[in-house]
Amino acid sequence: MNYIINKRNSLYKISFAVFVLLIGLGNFSCKKIDDVQSTRLATEETNWKTLEDAKANLLSVYGLLRSATVADNAHWLMGDLRQGDFTITNRADLKAIVNGQLNASYPVINRITNWRPYYAAINAASLFIERSKEIQALDPRYTKINNDVDVAQARMLRAFAYFYMSRIWGDVPLLTSSHDGEFVKLGRTSQQKVLAFATNELLAAAKVVPFRYGGTDPIMPGLYYGANWPSWNGIVFTRLSAYIILAHIAAWQGNYIDAANYSKFVLDNQSTQYFVDGANPLDYIDMNALTENQNNYSPFAYKRANLMVGFPFEAGNGLSTANGHIEQLTLAYPFIPKTRPEMFVSKDTIIKAFTVPSDLRFSINPQTGLYRTNYFYGVESEQPIFNKIKVIYPSNTSGNVTLFSSSMVFSRMEEITLLRAEALAVLGQKDDALNALNRACALRGFSFTTATPDLVAAIFQERRRELMAEGWRWYDIVRYNRIKNPQTVFATKGGKSMTFKEFEAAGGIYWPVSQDVINANSLITQNPYWQ
Amino acid sequence: MVKIYTSICFALFLSVFGSQTLHANTVVVKGANSMYFAFQQDTTKAKKEPVTFSVKTDTIGQMIKALQKFKTVRDTINIRSATPVPNLSLQQVIKGNLAGVYVQEPNGEPGTEQSIIVQGASGLLFTKKDMYALQPAVYLNGVPLVADNPFAFDVQKYDYNRIGPATNLLSQISIDNIQSISVIKDPFELAKLGPNAANGAIYVTTKNARAGLRDISLNSYFGFVTPPAVNTVNGVYENNFRKPFYQKYATAENYANYASYLRDSTNTAYYGPSNWNDIYYKTTPTFSADLGITGGGDRANFRFFGSGTKNAGNADDTNINKYNLFFGINMAPFKWFTVSSSVNAARLDRTRNRSLRDRFAETRYIPDLSSPLSPNASIYEGFLQENAKNVDNNRNTILNGNLTLSAKINKITISSSLIFDYNEGVRDYFTPSTLMDGVSYVSNYFGYSQRLMLNNSASYKYEINKKHTIDFEIGQSFQGDTYKYNYARAYNGPNDYVKLNLVDGNSGNDDYLNTLAAGGFYVFRYIDKEKNNLMSFYGSAKYSYKNLLDLSALVRRDGSSNGQPDSRWVTTPAFSATFNLKEQFLKNNTLFNSLHLSAGWGRNLRIFLDDRYAAGPQYRSENGWFEEPTIPGYGGRLGINRPYGSGFIGYGIKLPYADRTNITLDASFLNSRLNAAITAYNRDNKNQVIGVPVPFETGYSLNYQTGMDINNKGLELMLNGVVIRNTKGLNWNTTVNFNCNRNKLTALPNGLTELISGDDKLVVGKPVGSFWLYSNNGIYNTNAEVPAGRTFNGIPLKAGDPNWVDYNGDNRIDNKDKVSTGDRLPKFVGGWNNTLAYKNFDLNFNFIFALGQKAINQYEATRYGFINREAGNDINSVKEVSSWQVFDNEKTYPIYNPWSDVDAYRVDQDLFLENASYVKLRSVTLGYDFGKTSLFRRSGTGVRRAYLYATAMNLFTITKFTGIDPELVNYNGYYDGANLTIPRTFVLGFKLDL
Repeated sequence: MNYIINKRNSLYKISFAVFVLLIGLGNFSCKKIDDVQSTRLATEETNWKTLEDAKANLLSVYGLLRSATVADNAHWLMGDLRQGDFTITNRADLKAIVNGQLNASYPVINRITNWRPYYAAINAASLFIERSKEIQALDPRYTKINNDVDVAQARMLRAFAYFYMSRIWGDVPLLTSSHDGEFVKLGRTSQQKVLAFATNELLAAAKVVPFRYGGTDPIMPGLYYGANWPSWNGIVFTRLSAYIILAHIAAWQGNYIDAANYSKFVLDNQSTQYFVDGANPLDYIDMNALTENQNNYSPFAYKRANLMVGFPFEAGNGLSTANGHIEQLTLAYPFIPKTRPEMFVSKDTIIKAFTVPSDLRFSINPQTGLYRTNYFYGVESEQPIFNKIKVIYPSNTSGNVTLFSSSMVFSRMEEITLLRAEALAVLGQKDDALNALNRACALRGFSFTTATPDLVAAIFQERRRELMAEGWRWYDIVRYNRIKNPQTVFATKGGKSMTFKEFEAAGGIYWPVSQDVINANSLITQNPYWQ
Repeated sequence: MVKIYTSICFALFLSVFGSQTLHANTVVVKGANSMYFAFQQDTTKAKKEPVTFSVKTDTIGQMIKALQKFKTVRDTINIRSATPVPNLSLQQVIKGNLAGVYVQEPNGEPGTEQSIIVQGASGLLFTKKDMYALQPAVYLNGVPLVADNPFAFDVQKYDYNRIGPATNLLSQISIDNIQSISVIKDPFELAKLGPNAANGAIYVTTKNARAGLRDISLNSYFGFVTPPAVNTVNGVYENNFRKPFYQKYATAENYANYASYLRDSTNTAYYGPSNWNDIYYKTTPTFSADLGITGGGDRANFRFFGSGTKNAGNADDTNINKYNLFFGINMAPFKWFTVSSSVNAARLDRTRNRSLRDRFAETRYIPDLSSPLSPNASIYEGFLQENAKNVDNNRNTILNGNLTLSAKINKITISSSLIFDYNEGVRDYFTPSTLMDGVSYVSNYFGYSQRLMLNNSASYKYEINKKHTIDFEIGQSFQGDTYKYNYARAYNGPNDYVKLNLVDGNSGNDDYLNTLAAGGFYVFRYIDKEKNNLMSFYGSAKYSYKNLLDLSALVRRDGSSNGQPDSRWVTTPAFSATFNLKEQFLKNNTLFNSLHLSAGWGRNLRIFLDDRYAAGPQYRSENGWFEEPTIPGYGGRLGINRPYGSGFIGYGIKLPYADRTNITLDASFLNSRLNAAITAYNRDNKNQVIGVPVPFETGYSLNYQTGMDINNKGLELMLNGVVIRNTKGLNWNTTVNFNCNRNKLTALPNGLTELISGDDKLVVGKPVGSFWLYSNNGIYNTNAEVPAGRTFNGIPLKAGDPNWVDYNGDNRIDNKDKVSTGDRLPKFVGGWNNTLAYKNFDLNFNFIFALGQKAINQYEATRYGFINREAGNDINSVKEVSSWQVFDNEKTYPIYNPWSDVDAYRVDQDLFLENASYVKLRSVTLGYDFGKTSLFRRSGTGVRRAYLYATAMNLFTITKFTGIDPELVNYNGYYDGANLTIPRTFVLGFKLDL
């Protein structure tokens, strides 16, 4: 004890000093609070500063629009089911769509009728258009031409989103700036105005964007964000993409003169992407590329120039997904381990649609009774498997992994050529129309002759076969009926029969908008047909 | 920074250790004190502890007092009656035994997450993320334990379980090592604890080092969890169940699509014996052993505790192994200086269930579900054999502790403590291709949460004169939290023996380190990290007037890095007053032994768990959609965009706070045979952030805004009485706690009065846990019964559809006809604990109850809606093997047309709303103390207690609920029947104190 007491004073001092020192280390600085930077997000202070920011923000516009179109397989549910060729095995929500009960109360229907994802892409595009020029001043690597081209792409994407939406909902609210940080409330704008806006935007953008990115295109030579044309083709929208969308807007509006001109521009400029800059060429595809994922040409399995308007899902970039592909709806055993597909094309429909005996897509050899399986497998069964598109991880035509990597293909050479044929046929230029039609089906094992009685009908039948399950059927039916204006019963509602014209006038060709959209904005009215 | 603190901490720790040897031999050894031991056995009277401990040595007593931060808290667990109950987690221990604390144990699977809500919900209850934000702080020896951060849900498609081990981290505490568990609800005390405790606090103190010759306790139990009684069914039942639907409504096409597995009645897989329960439910041993040693003298002492526990579930071969080590020392190198330190370490290894849903939710991969699991044991056995190829390692390693230095120089006490908590979770999961249609799956998770805290405080006692004293205290603390995880999931390995993704390690090759190289797994990777710092300063003063009146005031300033720069520093005050009524008015009254009236008001800042609110307008990589939420970018390059999917965050987001008011009247009567306290409380959680729906044309679904206020008010009653007291005969001690809470949403941002959030609607004036439902009024048997033109969301109603009430009379059933009704949270919670003692025998039984909460029986909704469920092939279509059973109290519902486009068996209707109130006999313990028998007394072995006991848990439930157990309702108020049963457990154990 004494020992301790003697020692006490010195120990007291030392210990107290240590103690105070420790407390001193507590560091009263507020820096620890103010200097914590999040590593999980970019802020207004960090975004829009470098070349990489421009790339990341622009590609997100593509990504958002891709998500909007394919989420819940909406591209196919909306394009291929209504009065289409598919029969539903079991899913009540899909049956409701086929039967035209588009307001049925199912989660998938509720989600696909919510247009928010398209507006997310539109907002991101507007934001890019408004903000990306800031980068020019801050990062010398980001040149004016680069920025102009990027902004033009954003304008194209925004215009495409508006066109895509107005095909579905008719009149949609038109927002042409980002209103960043404000939440504006707008009602619907007439479809005419929306499409006029989209057309103007596309025409303006088409003047700026190159035919190729990262290659030797004189409009914008040199690498694009450090990558060459083979790495960009099939990913970003080119000048041809702009004209394809323009042609479709014109055709949707019944303006076939413009549709013919725009599509002509596309076909005339095939050479701009034909064996140039080391990439696989833009060309018509044979059966191997159409249904068997042939490497150099398939727009479904790979990002290729043939994906003229569309969005790829490359397995190699970690983008194989279960949802967002036609395969999820149509494939089953023996292609993937699944007993029954969610939908199929019935034997009757197949026989009705594929009438030519030499059609390479599907035909039955009258002698042997054997049939081609490129489009349909097991035709003799009750539920043939529709296997035209089958890109199973990574790019196989069958496999156990039910993750798919097929692209969302909006347009390819065959599609735009058939659109041109349609336009020419409507305009009465029969020979040119027939040529275009035969050009489109040249690799399908047959051709049409001048004796074809109804060229318009033949073109639409060919679209039905060639573009089956590419999200076109319903919009083709609409355009066809607008051209033909038949007096037959197109639909019935509440016991009342309607011709197509009456049906269209009532708003029946458009989808209802989700109640969630109306709840969030009281200025949005339900489509009258679905009220 | 962490390293600097840690090294200083350890250097200091060691230096003190060194000097300890210097003094150890000078310590005067004291003999055992009988009163002291008696107390050790009964720690309920927490108030008395300091008195006991400060018998001789002021220094260590002082320090223990500092640890016992809440001397005035009445609300503690009766540890003595809690120790013989084989609970695994802290939540289970406190369930029903702390007033105002509602514990949800929605799953009987051992080690799964459980929730604690103190005095009503302060926020929303819709997603699992919401639940994380409602949890109170749990302090273990003053260490505010860091919880898993919910940010991992950002990369998940389903939120059934958090990625990683998802183990309940509060399983780390061993009840045999606990001295006290109290809930802190007092506004002033909570304000003292600061922002961590915004949702209340549970303060756990372990038994700690203290002076005494030696003190060894050895505890162990062994027992069984037992399988429930099950009425199994097979395809015949299912077939008969479906018959009326088909007879009434089916078309030829519907018949053609009849569920394939039920088509063939000769198929023994579905029509054979249904005996899956024989291998699904099992009697499983559950056991535990622990050892605690306390020793040392007045100036230096220690405690060691080690335990090993296996806690088993009765279903699906689930269990958890827990290992817990604790070491604590106290030293007083000088009379004016004390050092104390404790370290608690735990390891939790969990064996999880083998349910299909949890597997598919983890793998995010749904194979063809058209053939469900067979109810036949021999076939199900085959499935289990494949399951045996699974790898499912779930390991949590936890280390936390503190080092406290305290110096008393004259009237100033300075103390400084370093507090750390680190927990690490690892999960390795592999499932073979045979279980997922030919695709194998592997995922690896590594994540940690880390908290480091440095607290400094100084107090000064100023005695003006004998009547008036003022205690001043100032303090400062810094807290740094880091959360991180790495997660990768991968599909389709080369074969079922390769359970790792091998990459090319040769840097010369094209595929160098390429995880997506051909031939290997298809890998998706996720990495996330978040930091959150908190800095606090506070000052408080307490004025005492004799033994009559105490007045306290506190002001603190806290800064959080998760707040926006212009509002991250906030000053908050708190006040409290205690008035000794007995002393003032009833000095000579013999009925009352004490009577106090106290009141307090305090404000607590509440900090965000997520750092995104601090950033303001931001850009994230959110490119996916509902079914595929984690699309990384476009064209092989990362994309960034505004958070359209998750919601816009602008400027002007303020930190939320909680304002609490408490008034308590407490008294003890009849020579302290009866203690009672009644508390009225009112809490306003203000400035909370909520996503306000915005026009979808802006691209966003939500805009996060400040301004949601929630009020909870209620009454609490605590009663503790000795009903029968006979020193030689029967004694009966009873404790009742009762809480009545009313929850109300009081404001929404921008003056909104209601707000739709997904399938829920928040209405000002209603509880936040309200359901939003259509009112079901029977069935339309014929088309003629349907009012002309009546539609359901635009769809004409037909015969076979439900008759939903058209409240607004517009003949259209839509959102406007949904009503807010019911509440997910109970109105009344509490418990009733009894101990009967006769000689050396004692009998304890504990009832718990939660009343007034409602639940949606989603299990029945999907059972009746089998058409849509089976057509979907999504996560809701999964049919578990346990669904091959029926329940006695099952309700029958009308036979609606299951093919109708209106989705007749939708969950958002009151048809499936049920009363989920319950009263449970939680535990019964019968024990006998041999230590008091003459045998041990005479032997002189020093055995103080040799207690042998048998405990039964979960003996019965009284409820109107029609599912298995009203507790198995999920956090969001939906009962989906997917959770494992809470087992009946029987154990035999002993407690030996030497």
